[in-house]
Amino acid sequence: MCWGVPARVISIDSDVTATVDFLSGTLKKVVIGVDDLKVGDFVIVHAGVIISKITKEDVIENINFIAEQIRETALMTGEDADKAVKEFLNMAMKILGE
Amino acid sequence: MDFSLLPKQIEAVFRENSLLAKSILSQIYQITPLAMQKLKRERIKIMNFCGSHEWTTTHYGLRYMIPKEIELIPGPGCPVCVTPSSDIENIIKLAMEGFRIYTFGDVFKLPTVKHYKKDEVGSLAVAKSMNADVQIVYSFIDAVDDAKHNKKPSIFMGIGFETTAPSYAILFERNKVPENLLFYSSLRLTAPAAEYAIKLHKDKGSIPISGVIAPGHVSTIIGAMSWDFLPKEYKIPAVVTGFEPMDVIASILKILQMIYTENISYTELEYKRVATREGNKYAQNAINKVFVVTDAIWRGIGLIPKSGLALQEKYSKYDAKEQLGIKDVPWDYDLPPNCKCAEVTLGMAYPTDCPMFMKACTPAKPWGPCMVSMEGACSVWARFGSVQKVLNIMDEVR
Repeated sequence: MCWGVPARVISIDSDVTATVDFLSGTLKKVVIGVDDLKVGDFVIVHAGVIISKITKEDVIENINFIAEQIRETALMTGEDADKAVKEFLNMAMKILGE
Repeated sequence: MDFSLLPKQIEAVFRENSLLAKSILSQIYQITPLAMQKLKRERIKIMNFCGSHEWTTTHYGLRYMIPKEIELIPGPGCPVCVTPSSDIENIIKLAMEGFRIYTFGDVFKLPTVKHYKKDEVGSLAVAKSMNADVQIVYSFIDAVDDAKHNKKPSIFMGIGFETTAPSYAILFERNKVPENLLFYSSLRLTAPAAEYAIKLHKDKGSIPISGVIAPGHVSTIIGAMSWDFLPKEYKIPAVVTGFEPMDVIASILKILQMIYTENISYTELEYKRVATREGNKYAQNAINKVFVVTDAIWRGIGLIPKSGLALQEKYSKYDAKEQLGIKDVPWDYDLPPNCKCAEVTLGMAYPTDCPMFMKACTPAKPWGPCMVSMEGACSVWARFGSVQKVLNIMDEVR
């Protein structure tokens, strides 16, 4: 049961609840399940509870993990590791506006 | 910053990205023979433990993109599929006796083995059609708000894994639950079931599982380190993985690397944009304060030690089983005749191995529990698996 939905925090309504926008204009009252939640945070909601916040830095870490796997496999199979990674990283960072 | 931009960027990188898919797949094809040599096996079996990963795998046709030697098998990661029939039967009885029942939409359609009053009521949907007060809710907070307002004796059917547990625990811990709302816990823990499945594959003499795509959102709560028993005790690579197609194929690549290098010491974390090694401490604290770990029954499988959560004694006034004198009974086989849901749940059979699949058992009229939820392997294969079938036939024709 891992169905998580991205959302943006619209308001913090009490010590346990917030209102989120599921990025489609659909607003929903949910339980706050993370520390230090702020209005505007981008979050993952699962079954009505915020289970995680997401930042651009986290997304870049995720991209770097995949780039590292591409590099390691290229080294194992005798390919040009830098070339294998460069194309992907350029594309990903362009999408992120970095 | 435009906050609606980040989800679109994530989709562009991890979903709609043929360049990255080609790059990762090309490397998977190169490293697969090396990993096979290392394992001295002609097939590499990789299991997912999350119904959402099965959805991603089948929906995007990932099985047909990777080498045929890699077998991706679904695992026990669907809470609706494993909720014992006896729990639903108990809830149906309470609904028919006049309690207002709150439930998630999937549970509403779940068929039972034994029916209330002989052949009459075999699901909460049927109970509702017979005027029982069954309310479908999106979350526990919706039930809490409604119960506060209507003051009627009510019960929440609390299914789910570690991901759902905080939605209950936080509201209990902060005293937000009204006393007219009882809680029927059917919560399950994923790691004990994963270990059970791994041992089963090993003991049955079938091809052992050589890698695990570990659940991304369960691990967001319990931490990637919770899966370290797989690499440490069983020498099986485990990668906590996100739910976009690039996440899944990147994790397959990582598993193959770990097999080839034999560097299998701890759980790897691919889903870095959401999960961490330690997990969500805020949620963990709430769960530990409200629930206690218990032995639990998994539908079609039986009792798995320390695989469930029940309310602690200090919350017993909310405990539906305790307050209503519902006794746990020894497990009796609880799948309908010919249903292979237990084998599918444990990765011992594919949905298409079941004689009922898409015959007597369809998404419109499920015969077994794996056909009900969007995370049940049979339901996923029924909705999105036909492409694979067509490709198989085309292969044969060629």
